[in-house]
Amino acid sequence: MFAYLSNGNARRDLPPAGGFETVKYKRNLPPARARRPSHPRRRHGPVRVWLLAPWTGQYREKVRCAPRHCALSCQCLELKRENTWARIHLVPLLLAEGDRALYADAQHAHAVEAEIMKDVKGWVVSNPYTSMVATS
Amino acid sequence: MSTTTEQAAAAAPPQEIPKVAELGTTSAPLKSAAFFIGAYCKEYNEDFMLCKAESREPGHCLKEGRRVTRCATDLITKMRENCLAQFEAHWGCLEQNNQQYYRCRTEERPLNACMFEKLGLTKVIPGTPEGRKQIHEIENPTLKRQQK
Repeated sequence: MFAYLSNGNARRDLPPAGGFETVKYKRNLPPARARRPSHPRRRHGPVRVWLLAPWTGQYREKVRCAPRHCALSCQCLELKRENTWARIHLVPLLLAEGDRALYADAQHAHAVEAEIMKDVKGWVVSNPYTSMVATS
Repeated sequence: MSTTTEQAAAAAPPQEIPKVAELGTTSAPLKSAAFFIGAYCKEYNEDFMLCKAESREPGHCLKEGRRVTRCATDLITKMRENCLAQFEAHWGCLEQNNQQYYRCRTEERPLNACMFEKLGLTKVIPGTPEGRKQIHEIENPTLKRQQK
């Protein structure tokens, strides 16, 4: 066993003369400078954003419908209330229609499932884990 | 389209379920009629929502749902019989104005008057502060179709 190591003719894997050359395993780029806005933006950005806040999308409704503006007219909030109640009155109608469609689809899917899986022993049709209709 | 038409469901409903014609109206007529639906079908709507509170399963409240739809269909039919011109004008305006009520007050007032006169239904917005006029009754509102 291992006779070939001791007979002098063995060629061993040794490091080359002078050693291996170094492996570059780490990126050596200079650290990236943190990105920052351009000079005019840095200079004027905050002021401009602050000035434009009442007209920009995110704050427009808040600013125009803020309660402190209600001292003059509460009409923004009232318009919102009107819209909300219109939707509330329609919810049962829309929900009922959706339920009917969902129920019919589920029944149809269960019938198809029962037909396909009729040969599988112990298969439960409309198992909640395999069903496509969520039952809460 | 404010006419009520029957829509075809993706899957035909099972035979044992009574059929009901779906309310085929689009969003603008529905928004125009929303408060009248709320007033006219209050009992059915509340019954349906209480039923849904018991269970959210689609099959649990089918009977109550059919009543809701029949009631709404009934109301839309009555609206079209009695106040067709005002109704068409109002929902046409909503269609053209991003479905914003405040832009269609001139069309809304005749409709409300007609609905009260013919069917005895009034538009009431719940939660309006005490002692204030409701937003749709204000003569000179701040927000109008055209801002000056």
